[in-house]
Amino acid sequence: MTAEPQLSSAQTAPAASPLDPALAVATRGLVKSYRRHKALVGLDMSVPRGKVYGFLGPNGSGKTTALRLLTGLLRPDAGTIALFGTPYTWHDRKRLFRVGSLIETPSFYPYLSGAENLLVLSAAGPPTDKSRIGQVLEYVGMGGRSKDAVQTYSLGMKQRLGIAAAMLSDPDLLLLDEPANGLDPGGMVAMRETLRYFTESLGKTVIISSHLLHEVEQLADVVGIIDRGRLLREGDLQQLLADAGRVKVRVPVDQMAQAAAILSTFAPQRPLYGVDRGEQAGMFTVAAAPERAAEINKALADAGIYASGLEPGSDLESVFLELTGTGATVHDRPDDVGHMGGPLAAEQALPSTSETPPRASDSSA
Amino acid sequence: MIGLVRAELLKIRRRQATYVLLAIELGLAALIFLATGGIWQQAEVISFPRAYAIFEQVIFQLGGLLAIVFAAAYVGADWNWGVIRNVVARGEGRERYLLAKFLSVAIVLALATVVMFAACFVLLYLQGLIYNVPVANPFRADGLQDLLVWIVAGFPVLLQRAAIGFAVAAIFRSQLAGAVVGIVLFLVEAVVTTILTLLTLSNSLVNDIGSGGFQTTGPEWFQYLPISIGGNVFGALPGAAGFASGNISAALLNPVPFGVAMAGVFIYMIAALVIALVALRRQEIA
Repeated sequence: MTAEPQLSSAQTAPAASPLDPALAVATRGLVKSYRRHKALVGLDMSVPRGKVYGFLGPNGSGKTTALRLLTGLLRPDAGTIALFGTPYTWHDRKRLFRVGSLIETPSFYPYLSGAENLLVLSAAGPPTDKSRIGQVLEYVGMGGRSKDAVQTYSLGMKQRLGIAAAMLSDPDLLLLDEPANGLDPGGMVAMRETLRYFTESLGKTVIISSHLLHEVEQLADVVGIIDRGRLLREGDLQQLLADAGRVKVRVPVDQMAQAAAILSTFAPQRPLYGVDRGEQAGMFTVAAAPERAAEINKALADAGIYASGLEPGSDLESVFLELTGTGATVHDRPDDVGHMGGPLAAEQALPSTSETPPRASDSSA
Repeated sequence: MIGLVRAELLKIRRRQATYVLLAIELGLAALIFLATGGIWQQAEVISFPRAYAIFEQVIFQLGGLLAIVFAAAYVGADWNWGVIRNVVARGEGRERYLLAKFLSVAIVLALATVVMFAACFVLLYLQGLIYNVPVANPFRADGLQDLLVWIVAGFPVLLQRAAIGFAVAAIFRSQLAGAVVGIVLFLVEAVVTTILTLLTLSNSLVNDIGSGGFQTTGPEWFQYLPISIGGNVFGALPGAAGFASGNISAALLNPVPFGVAMAGVFIYMIAALVIALVALRRQEIA
């Protein structure tokens, strides 16, 4: 269970020099422990400038720790960090003038209004024009409530204010930890558009850590997938998806075990995911090239299993599950259940191990 | 730095706890004046600087305790609400931030001191009316000078106590823990000092009876403790001899000389600030 997953062909690209000016952030061998718990065990991430970088990982994988290290809240035990091509150390505070961040939950003085919170925040750190306060509040759609006390805000409004605070000093790099938390659909669309504008029109860089894989898939140019404190995969999202073709096939629930044996032959070295209850019951995800969908269908039909659905393609969710091993092992990692949220939480792992081909992670052990 | 201080003043100004603490001090001041009214009944007139001794009890002794609570709650709130994270992540210097907070507290305490002096004058006149004792003019030639001496000598003591609240809150990273630990420190030291003073006095009496005469003793080591040292400053001020200083060790034992006591106040203030700064500088903020 603890063995690292086998990675597919498009592995993390060879590490560029951390001092490469084309990188907004580069970490090498970053290590951080909280007493006995190792949060990061040698994180090497490279975030290109002007891109949206999706930072993905299960709960407790080390995402927030990494972001805290990048913002000087924590001190690394070992390893290096470079921001915009130059080394960054814990007390090198002025380097953070180019960074805006929202780490974990948005934190504000509850008795001050949204605008007042930004006003007091603007006095700290980089010199900030007061006119930015109104601008960023408008960006995040909070102009109308900016004079109300923060204690009257909903979670989504606090989140919007947190994003506004991160953008306050017009930073070159934006670090957003779970920014979509509590946002309504309109807020998520607005955030997506704002961040797109931020990178595409202004040439700035965004690192967005999220559990909402669909959201990241729509937004990110580059992704890094982290688990147990180590980066498992990093690279261009489209390339990653192209390399991670899969076919979703739905079979009768009572024939799942038989189907699993057949489907596993299409990707013997890759894990096979299936859902045995709920609305998605009978759905398999086979890590096979999309063009093999017809072949899969025929193999099932030859065995007397008639698929009621067949969907070739690829998505970030499959890649994530494969790399982090949080699909078929949900019940083995109870800490992961919560964050998976909505549809994934409803999915249950396939089958018992006797019915499921060995996962890649197991085979590599 | 000016911008930071202005921002801090806005936070203090808009915070309800600021006014609650001031209201508590005003309420307790009214009770103290009511309770101490009887002491003037023997006098033909409520005189100055003697009346300042009660002012001192209210503004600097009671106020000192509230200053610890105020400073601890004000600094600790940044951890409670998580806003310290925003500030540090923006690249603000931790030391600059804490110093700006301390300057803001100093400004607010200065204003509070003026307000409380004014309130004390009003309460004193009301006390005079209640007990039918006329109040002398506090602004006669040397009376005004005495007032300035009280303010100038008392304010650093107030600040020193606020600095203790700062250090405690920065170490405990919590407004509640900071305030509670600050109060406990204040009260424990007062109790311990009282006990030690009485023990010292009784030992001294036994020895003096043996030698056939009574001699005052001190200053003793415990008179140099952080809270007691402030009380010893007041012992040397006009009209505050003996118990009027509000400090039992300064009243019963030889007080710490004024200059030494004042130096001690500043040393403790600086030490508390340094501790707070070092604590914040080294802290990892989760």
